[in-house]
Amino acid sequence: MTDTALDPKLDLTLERTIRASPSVVWRAWTDPELLARWWVPAPMQTRVDRLDVQPGGGFVTSVREGAGEYHPHTDGVFLVVEPERRLVFTNVVDSSWRPAKPEPVSMTAEITLDEHAEGTMYRVVVRHGDPAARNLHEDLGFFEGWGSVTSALADLVESG
Amino acid sequence: MAHHDGVNEVFLALADPTRREVIRALGRGPASVGELAQPFAITLPSFLKHIRALEESGIISTSKSGRVRTCTLDHDRLTVIGDWLDEQRHLWRERTDRLESLVTDLEEPR
Repeated sequence: MTDTALDPKLDLTLERTIRASPSVVWRAWTDPELLARWWVPAPMQTRVDRLDVQPGGGFVTSVREGAGEYHPHTDGVFLVVEPERRLVFTNVVDSSWRPAKPEPVSMTAEITLDEHAEGTMYRVVVRHGDPAARNLHEDLGFFEGWGSVTSALADLVESG
Repeated sequence: MAHHDGVNEVFLALADPTRREVIRALGRGPASVGELAQPFAITLPSFLKHIRALEESGIISTSKSGRVRTCTLDHDRLTVIGDWLDEQRHLWRERTDRLESLVTDLEEPR
């Protein structure tokens, strides 16, 4: 089951009552044209490249700013799809089912919709991978990971 | 310049050892480009490229007085690295705001 314990250091939860029916909220998530309208903040624009809403189906978006080039944004797969009820996707496996090293952090997002007197009880749970395991661009001479960045910052503050 | 995905921009700016040294030096307080460049065996134009990269990422700001350009560290900007979870929380909260306003519009067409 997905009722696994959350780790407050890694996970986030969000809960909100939305004044729209679960079917409308579901549509906003699963209709590419609608998703593109809220996925990233203006002035950035989303292009939904793939939205194959079924377990194992690809979820791919690109974003651009103004008239610039589109850059890869989301690239993941859906894990669980229960129409108008629950949607789970991850970026740890990309849309071609290749194990991925997503930036800035790996995650599994679980969206739950429940009927509510005022519309929908909307819940988001995002479980993150350990950012210390981030594979940074070593060829660029990047830090080893979040851990060493934090210690570099600690050094900075101490010397400051 | 807009800073949306702050974490990545900051990381890119920190990708270079010279730039990390500059930040470390600025942690002790504002300094001129000349002072900052001194420990490095690179030409001033190359050094200025690093300064510009740091400035564009928002990690430092610079101001010119006469012939001296002074650099100052923006500590707030650097904290995005420590607060990656806050950054994600913020992203999802704003994303949910936008979703909510779209679906309430769809539900009750004006």
